[in-house]
Amino acid sequence: MMLSVENIDVFYGAIHAIKGISFDVNEGEIVALIGANGAGKSTTLKTISGIMHPRNGKITFLGEDITHTDGYKLPAKGLAQVPEGRRIFLQMTVMENLEMGAFVQKKPTEEDFENVFTHFPRLKERRSQIAGTLSGGEQQMLAMGRALMSHPKLLMLDEPSMGLAPILVEEIFNIIREFHAAGTTILLVEQNAEMALQVADRAYVLESGVIALSGTGKELAESDAIKKAYLGG
Amino acid sequence: MMGILSNLISGISLGSIYAIIALGYTMVYGIAKMLNFAHGDVIMVGAYICYCAISYLGLPPLVGIVMAICVCTVLGIVIEGLAYKPLRSAPSLAVLITAIGVSYFLQNSALLIWKSDPKVFPSIVKSMQPVQLFGGQLAISGITIVTVLCCVVVMTCLTLFISKSKTGKAMRAVSEDKVAAQLMGINVNGTISVTFAIGSGLAAVAGVLLCSAYPTLIPTTGAMPGIKAFTAAVFGGIGSIPGAMLGGILLGIIELFAKSYISTQFSDAIVFAVLIIVLLIKPTGLLGKKVSEKV
Repeated sequence: MMLSVENIDVFYGAIHAIKGISFDVNEGEIVALIGANGAGKSTTLKTISGIMHPRNGKITFLGEDITHTDGYKLPAKGLAQVPEGRRIFLQMTVMENLEMGAFVQKKPTEEDFENVFTHFPRLKERRSQIAGTLSGGEQQMLAMGRALMSHPKLLMLDEPSMGLAPILVEEIFNIIREFHAAGTTILLVEQNAEMALQVADRAYVLESGVIALSGTGKELAESDAIKKAYLGG
Repeated sequence: MMGILSNLISGISLGSIYAIIALGYTMVYGIAKMLNFAHGDVIMVGAYICYCAISYLGLPPLVGIVMAICVCTVLGIVIEGLAYKPLRSAPSLAVLITAIGVSYFLQNSALLIWKSDPKVFPSIVKSMQPVQLFGGQLAISGITIVTVLCCVVVMTCLTLFISKSKTGKAMRAVSEDKVAAQLMGINVNGTISVTFAIGSGLAAVAGVLLCSAYPTLIPTTGAMPGIKAFTAAVFGGIGSIPGAMLGGILLGIIELFAKSYISTQFSDAIVFAVLIIVLLIKPTGLLGKKVSEKV
């Protein structure tokens, strides 16, 4: 098992945002966390990546307890996150953003950059541009390319489709499939349940801080409860 | 004519000192998003350390300067770690008040250690003769030349460091987005400590230069230059390194000209009036920029 989350409780001050949830991600899987706005999806990712820490429970990554590990130590262990809202460094160039993605390595190699550029040819054209001048879709690509620079074993994506035109959403999900085919395990948080369930091997449905449902992507996509609540059917 | 030129040179020299101090303010603001009002007093500590090394221990000025830089660098890290780090998620007003508290703490500690009687600071450039220009009509003192040179060297090194080195890039990343920087594996607290270390080391250099040009050293020596340099940083656009440099030098020139041609008593008022006018016209300062986020 690559990642295991056991009974974590996460609080924002007095607000109990995550109420004892447990789930696993196995090596080679794409696992999706879906649910409505405010269900606790992003909070769960932030807790895994060490931006927040749980009050109770345990998080294990590659056999190591990372529940209270400082977040900045995790990328070196093989965990990368594309944060919600992309959060690229707007005042730095595309190349500098990618270099930051490889911060935990001694020095990024030519191949590392080329690897990103094969997935995102458009970034290569814009390599010396200031990231703040990129379009929304390009910024999302840069955020994903930046995460790829550290050669993560587990890549966590927080709402990669947010705010993008449908054609770009398609493109982003195709790239997620490419990453996966190249051997990266993926934990995906999405409000776009339809797209997420198409790519996911397994999925968990979060509702108000608890896991309401879980199953394979296919099972959930066909479940009546899901159709009603998230797929507009 | 020579008078104007002479004032201009003195202004650039004074402005260079402001600029070096302003760099510390602006870097700390850019990265930790706080105003370190104790920065001016670190200058004073640096000057006292250098004074002690030269006058009490009889060490050469260069050793004194290195000692001052080392002590101030450590002092900067300690101040950050003890006073500011515990307040990382506190409201900015609490941090500001703490900074003012640290400022008084440093001034009063200096008063206890070195007493209130003014110390006459020994010049660090004794051996250098003033450079005579235009057949002796214009004399530029050694300390003026050294000050301007120091400023150029500091500016060049810092710009290269920030734009090219891995730590420098990490500093820019932290200054833009702490959470994203942490997700890259950057130690945000460590980066903030490094920033304080660099800023405080520069403050030591500024302290030695300041007291070499204006050789009266008392525990409040750093206070006014500190405020002026803060003004310079805002004037140039707080958070911007070239802005701090430009703001510092312009402030020095304006101050010198105001002193010479308008009124010595009113020179500070004029300096601050210029700041107010600049901020009314361009609220982000001369080189400050606002980056809007794309959705």
